[in-house]
Amino acid sequence: MALIGPSGAGKTTLLRALAGGVPLKSGTLLHGEQDFATRSAREVREVRAALGFIHQDHGLVPALSVLQNISFGRLGSRGFLGALRMLAWPSREEQRNVLAALERVGLGSKLFARVENLSGGEAQRVAIARALHQLPCALLCDEPVSSVDPERARSVLGLLGSLAGEQGWSQVCSLHDVELAVDHFDRWIGLREGRVLFDGSPTETSQVELDELFAATKGPRLGNASKA
Amino acid sequence: MSERPDRRGSRALLLTALLIALAFWSLELPWSGLKPNAGGLKLLAEFLSSALHPALDYQTTGLPAGTPPFALALVTSLLRTLAFAAAGLALSLVLGLPLGLACSEHLWSGSTHPGRAARLGAGSARLIAALLRSVHELLWAVLFLAALGLVPALSVLAIAMTYAGTLAKLFGELLDEQTEQREDALQLLGATRLGAFGFGRVIPALPALLAYTFYRFECAVRSAAVLGFIGLPTLGLRVKLAFENRHFEEVWTYLYVLVALVVALELWSARLRQRFVA
Repeated sequence: MALIGPSGAGKTTLLRALAGGVPLKSGTLLHGEQDFATRSAREVREVRAALGFIHQDHGLVPALSVLQNISFGRLGSRGFLGALRMLAWPSREEQRNVLAALERVGLGSKLFARVENLSGGEAQRVAIARALHQLPCALLCDEPVSSVDPERARSVLGLLGSLAGEQGWSQVCSLHDVELAVDHFDRWIGLREGRVLFDGSPTETSQVELDELFAATKGPRLGNASKA
Repeated sequence: MSERPDRRGSRALLLTALLIALAFWSLELPWSGLKPNAGGLKLLAEFLSSALHPALDYQTTGLPAGTPPFALALVTSLLRTLAFAAAGLALSLVLGLPLGLACSEHLWSGSTHPGRAARLGAGSARLIAALLRSVHELLWAVLFLAALGLVPALSVLAIAMTYAGTLAKLFGELLDEQTEQREDALQLLGATRLGAFGFGRVIPALPALLAYTFYRFECAVRSAAVLGFIGLPTLGLRVKLAFENRHFEEVWTYLYVLVALVVALELWSARLRQRFVA
């Protein structure tokens, strides 16, 4: 599923809300049958561990290697000390799993590279490998192709699509490029100023609805959705 | 309608200039006292001319038996200066790093946006850091000297107290300057709050902290040397004794060695800073 809309529409806020990263002012967020708001901190972590999240700015930690950053994909299933051990002394099995994820995105030779030495496209793929290593049941992607050229954008979305099909992930991806959304998703939701304008198949959406979605924005925007 | 120009900057500059003028005026500085007398000029000339031929041996004769050779005494003082600086800095890290963590509002906060409780917790830690660093290491040394007597450990403690406060302040600021996105990203991956803080905020700040710590080591060497003036066996003590005995050539040897040491440390730490921060 793609979330489309102009800047300030609320795409990032909605994605973050799905992962419990934004308190809801109204409505209910259900994970399974349970209201997210009633879950304990441990349960919230368990839910998040099952949701891969790819950030617009990749969310990688500088001064660490690709191996260590991808290992962070499993932070949700480890305590602080377990995570520290994984960071300092990764087991052979951990290294094998990370390498497998990294090879899947075509960066097998970069296992020990520092992430600040990677290009934007490589960092993007490391973020995808981290999600792959996490073994999630769903993937939330916040503008995953906003900083790459059109050709690379198609390649990244193609990779995400094939991984989602292969791993059985549900995928929710925010985009501002309509063509990319049409080519790679069979359902999209149009958001404008925090409200749903349409929800359906790209082939069924009218040009009038799209024109309304991207018409010059008037009135106040959502306060915490400036990135979306 | 055009906006009025902001004159706050020029007013602040004018006020600062006035305060400086007031400070000079209130001190009633006896400028005429800066003119040396004939004896002083002769001493100054003797001191400066000694710079051209630093001592390679003691300037005094009839030394008691068992006095180590000049070069050995010099190297021993140098190594002691380095040892005091290293021990003082190590202890300051032990004290300053946890205090620096506590100085960050984000450690105390339940989210990435610090609230009142976070400001209170961090503010208390910053107050302790300010108390530690507002007392100069020389003053700490005098206080410890009164309490403990002239023991070498007081030099280590004196350096550690002031430097712990400085390191804590800087470390806290470095942590608060880190972008929130990384910590937020790790929390959305399921990390605990402590894990997100440690991996998303502390680790990215480490290279800059290491670079600053290397710089502080240079400062600690200078501090350890200065602490020799209250009797601790560092290069400063050698300078003091040589100066009191008017052995200016020896004084210059010790000063040259100290300068060479600081320059070598600066070159070394610059290379390390480049490696860590690049």
